Amino acid sequence: MSTISQARSIGLPLMNIVRFKGAPILHQLYLEEQLLRTSSENWCVINDGTNIPTIVMGISGKPSELLEVRSVLQDQVPVVRRFSGGGTVIVDHGTLFVTFICNKNAVPGVQPYPQPIMSWSSTLYNEVFQGIGHFHLRENDYVFGNRKFGGNAQSITKNRWVHHTSFLWDYEARNMAYLKLPMRTPKYRLARDHEEFVCRMKDFLSREAFIDRTLKAVGTQFSVRPIQSEASSVPHDATFQHSTTMLTKQELEAALPSQSETYELQRF
Amino acid sequence: MTWRRSWQNQAWNYGRRGLRAYGARRAPPLPLEQKTPALLSSARMILSRNAFASVSSAKFFELTNPYFTKKCYFSSDAWVDLPVGVIVEVPLAQTGEGIAECELLKWFVQEGDEIQEFQPLCEVQSDKATMEITSRYNGRVSEILHHPGEIVKVGETLLKMVVEESSTPTMSADDKDNITFVKSDICDSSHEILLSNKDNIGGALSTPAVRNLAKQYGVNINDIHGTGKDGRVLKEDVLKYITTKGIFREPSASSQETLVEQLPIKEEKSSYTFSVDGWHYEDSTVSLRGFQRSMVKSMTMAAKVPHFHYLEEINCDALVELKAAFQSENSDPQIKHTYLPFLIKSLSMALSKHPSMNSSFNEESHEVILKGCHNIGVAMATPYGLVVPNIKKVQSLSILEVTKELSRLQQLAINNKLSTEDISGGTITLSNIGAIGGKFGSPLLNLPEVAIIAMGRIQKLPRFADDGNVYPASILNVNIGADHRVVDGATVARFCNEWKLLIEKPELLLLHMR
Repeated sequence: MSTISQARSIGLPLMNIVRFKGAPILHQLYLEEQLLRTSSENWCVINDGTNIPTIVMGISGKPSELLEVRSVLQDQVPVVRRFSGGGTVIVDHGTLFVTFICNKNAVPGVQPYPQPIMSWSSTLYNEVFQGIGHFHLRENDYVFGNRKFGGNAQSITKNRWVHHTSFLWDYEARNMAYLKLPMRTPKYRLARDHEEFVCRMKDFLSREAFIDRTLKAVGTQFSVRPIQSEASSVPHDATFQHSTTMLTKQELEAALPSQSETYELQRF
Repeated sequence: MTWRRSWQNQAWNYGRRGLRAYGARRAPPLPLEQKTPALLSSARMILSRNAFASVSSAKFFELTNPYFTKKCYFSSDAWVDLPVGVIVEVPLAQTGEGIAECELLKWFVQEGDEIQEFQPLCEVQSDKATMEITSRYNGRVSEILHHPGEIVKVGETLLKMVVEESSTPTMSADDKDNITFVKSDICDSSHEILLSNKDNIGGALSTPAVRNLAKQYGVNINDIHGTGKDGRVLKEDVLKYITTKGIFREPSASSQETLVEQLPIKEEKSSYTFSVDGWHYEDSTVSLRGFQRSMVKSMTMAAKVPHFHYLEEINCDALVELKAAFQSENSDPQIKHTYLPFLIKSLSMALSKHPSMNSSFNEESHEVILKGCHNIGVAMATPYGLVVPNIKKVQSLSILEVTKELSRLQQLAINNKLSTEDISGGTITLSNIGAIGGKFGSPLLNLPEVAIIAMGRIQKLPRFADDGNVYPASILNVNIGADHRVVDGATVARFCNEWKLLIEKPELLLLHMR
């Protein structure tokens, strides 16, 4: 680092950067929640793809409302309920994850509430996507033009917050068949179905370029400190009570009857 | 796997501490000497959150009466002889723009638990975020009013707490509305965020609300001794400081801070300025809440949009006959026919030909979204303020259906029972201000719509017929306000001509009937 950039980074808050490639999403979420609740430092977690396709629901997600449970069970797709709010996604090796875990005073001028944090994140990504596509934050999504390519979720505690994003660098259209059309959709979606509503980030830039640009943007607001780690294992504190859970087969099967009932009613 | 920094050990220790906070455990009971007996310093005693702090001389007397106050106090501690606490209703605070309700996820406390200020009480979810709600007071949970999985509207009471007397002045000053104010103050605009950021550099710890109060009284917050946690300056500290300094005048509006959006603070009417002769000459401050509060915000935003207004006169003779015909054939006593449903339906027909009037403008992307549904909003004046519920998809409703839906919305509005669904998603607004009075209105847009129509009273005025004779005509004046970034005068004029034609010659509706 040159002297000038070193001088500039003095006085900036510290941000630890942890990078994974292909880490299981469940482990990533375990780590994030643990860092949220037990660390007092700022963290940025980047996971370049996850190893197996997994469905991830928000904290109050109900499988009967959000998933085509029969297909999910048949194909044995793992379903995770994460500790943060928001909607349902199906993630795989084409999904890029970027998470910020910060103290409430870490970013000057950003209060620990959903809207300010969301706005701040969009200014950071504005730098990342400078000159690429027509990036902006639309309601709670990251879009190019009017097509979504990044979804957000947050968890805000007394003194800290998490803002995590799953970016659709690439996705398999057939995987979307496991998800139902959600009941609550953003207004800008209008009545578009999935193919018309989302787009792939790979049409705009490469994975490496995205990660590099993100780290650069983070470096303008924080003094970054890379933390090396092996991708395959994550320290697991045995005493920590995780809120993120993997749904069991029984829980998914329990969601089946209410789904078929609805189907029956619709036929008449 | 190796980590450069051994945060694992740190994490384990933190985890143990963290567990205590996150389990539903009772906090250690406060030592006896910290519980102060109820002091009847009556000027600051507010007994319920709804009681206004404008203390008249009569009330002053009541409050000093120990029997009166004893009845209103409550304590769940069997071993304390003196009544020490007051029940406080803790509401779900506003946590962000446009968030009207949250789902309650879980409680961190249970009934009977001792709570400390800033201790997490529960976790809620709104949209994309889970959030911890922390306590504003020291006290004890007396009643939990919602269960995990329930949807709680912003402002609804989450739980009741018995708040200790030492916190009572804080409670009286920071009741339900002030909590809402503090948090929404932070979320509402970047100006507010800038204010709180700037103030944090000052030195004394306090909330923006308290800082504002100090500024309005012209006192330096750094001079005030804070009694809250970490030396935080609370509202009661500011008021106590003012009393001791003998500052009895009403606070003057601060002219030093040029905040664009100065939200009024819920002021305690200074309890030490009650008048001797029983008359009230002092100003009273009304804190804006609910619909009035949203009106401040929406009208401020509307003022930034370049409006133009287009006036037109519509001959409603045919409409008057039509209404009479509907009414005479009306067999249902529940339904009362008025002009409005017809005006709404004909408006929808005109919109089909001029869809840019039923659109929405996205500033960031410079896009005009032509809305598919004609969700026509009807402005209603209720005891709670101005509200604009909308009738969805008018293009697929008959006039009778519009009449029924309008009636349903009116009933809900009067009782303040409109749902978020009813008041959102509107694409154009009608304001029938003429029902109250006036010839012309000059309406401001209900963003993100691009057009609004104000209608005056239908008046009987002399007009010339085709044969040159003067006859009495029912004339309705309309004023269409529109966003000049999206539509121009010609578009509005053509749209209005279309609408006017349908009203003046209702038989033309038959041409379009499906």
